[in-house]
Amino acid sequence: MDSGKVKFFLGEVLRNFSRNTGMQLTAIGTVAITIVLLGLFLFVRAALADAGNRLLDQIEISAYLRSDATPAQAAAIGDFLAKDPRIASAQFVPKKQGLAELRTRTRGAIDTELLTENPLPDKFRIKVRQPEQVDSVAATVRRLTGVDNVVYGQKIVQRLLALGGVLRRVGIGLILAFVGVASIIISNTIRLTVFARRREIAIMQLVGAANTYIRLPFICEGLLDGLIGALVALALLAGARAALWPRLLEALPWVQLRAMPVDARILAAQLLLTGVAIGVLASWISVGRYLRT
Amino acid sequence: MISLRGVSLVYPNGVRALDNVSLEIGKGDFVFLVGHSGTGKSSLLRLLYREANSTAGEIVVDGIRVDRLRRNRVPALRRHLGVVFQDFKLLTDKTVWENVAFAMQVTGAHTRDVMRQVPRVLDLVGLSHKSRMYPNELSGGEQQRAAIARALVNNPKILLCDEPTGNLDPVNTTEITALLQRINLKGTTVVVATHNQAVVDRMRRRVVRLEDGRITTDEERGYYYLGLGQGQVLSG
Repeated sequence: MDSGKVKFFLGEVLRNFSRNTGMQLTAIGTVAITIVLLGLFLFVRAALADAGNRLLDQIEISAYLRSDATPAQAAAIGDFLAKDPRIASAQFVPKKQGLAELRTRTRGAIDTELLTENPLPDKFRIKVRQPEQVDSVAATVRRLTGVDNVVYGQKIVQRLLALGGVLRRVGIGLILAFVGVASIIISNTIRLTVFARRREIAIMQLVGAANTYIRLPFICEGLLDGLIGALVALALLAGARAALWPRLLEALPWVQLRAMPVDARILAAQLLLTGVAIGVLASWISVGRYLRT
Repeated sequence: MISLRGVSLVYPNGVRALDNVSLEIGKGDFVFLVGHSGTGKSSLLRLLYREANSTAGEIVVDGIRVDRLRRNRVPALRRHLGVVFQDFKLLTDKTVWENVAFAMQVTGAHTRDVMRQVPRVLDLVGLSHKSRMYPNELSGGEQQRAAIARALVNNPKILLCDEPTGNLDPVNTTEITALLQRINLKGTTVVVATHNQAVVDRMRRRVVRLEDGRITTDEERGYYYLGLGQGQVLSG
């Protein structure tokens, strides 16, 4: 390919790009909004998933022993728990220690000095390897002789697990919807620019330009729309994260959000690629439709 | 060079534009297609560069079976043809030079060839001194010359002209006619659809007359009106 050809081609692309400024801005704006929404969504989803995983990691099962359980029974339970591959750790907490912990946790709000006897039973504190296995481990432990009651954040676990699944499914649906809507808007925009250049296209067809050649500048135009839109979106997202995220972290300390739940470079690359893909896809479709008639 | 056998063209709306037309045009011929508006002159030309396709019959242009050409082969056919229209079809935001070069550039020609070929055709049509002007700055005749230069820039063997002087005054019409003749003398086959009596009568070339989509006469050295040479004027 000689440099004159490249120069001519780039000149054509730039000329068309700068000619319909209004329409280009519409397309770029659409991509930008789409990518911002997509970026926000991916970021929030990652943050929630991250927070959820941290909560799940902290879930522990408390297996309270019957008050008449013998030390031998307790030891047997300890041995059994140590052998279960699903269990990461099982720690025996005698009731004296339990009371001490309660005192620390409540920061003296309960005056344990007033108690005439320790009302707490002995217990095992169990941590599982996989959050999904909490339920089954709890069920196993409950059936052991000497175990009175098993307590863990059943509802929290189930909700978090369900939430993760819903987020994943809704996420894929939302992403498809975003990309679909953006593609339609951009393909309409490009169709307008195709229409604005119908004389030029007619002449190209008349003098025997190949369809690929006629299509190429429009594809490049779509690519530029997508790229610029995505870059604008990235700038907005980066600005928003810098300005708002620290405040949100401060405002919601109990959600255990991390400063940056995703790798910013990977997210940026994903968003850029999506923007470019939307632009190329949309222009490909609209020019193809025009050339076929 | 061009051969039509039993060609019919019925448009999707049911209009029968051409009805069983057969025509042979040899290499280097100069042919006028004459007839009233709507008798199928333009339709016949459109078939040759495959803007429309025949509903029956066989069309061969420069050895290519045009009626059976696959869609993706149409660009290749058109590079062998130059087409000129009544309304010039120039791009108003490009200079004369750019308009002519455009026809080569979009077919992937080398810059080297563009630089050599564009000045050559601009010189041929006599527009070298106005190559940097825009179409709006030119007269109608000059615009048509620019369009002819564009049609010729890829060295086609055939030049198809659909009412090339339809928008021009008599002086410019004469110029364009002379130019077409010069192009023909260089060996290009030229087919001109026209209803300009003066052009046809001055040139005294082959005249193919169409009426209601049929060829009614085909004279080697004809006039616009049938038998005018014999002192008769046919009405209608």
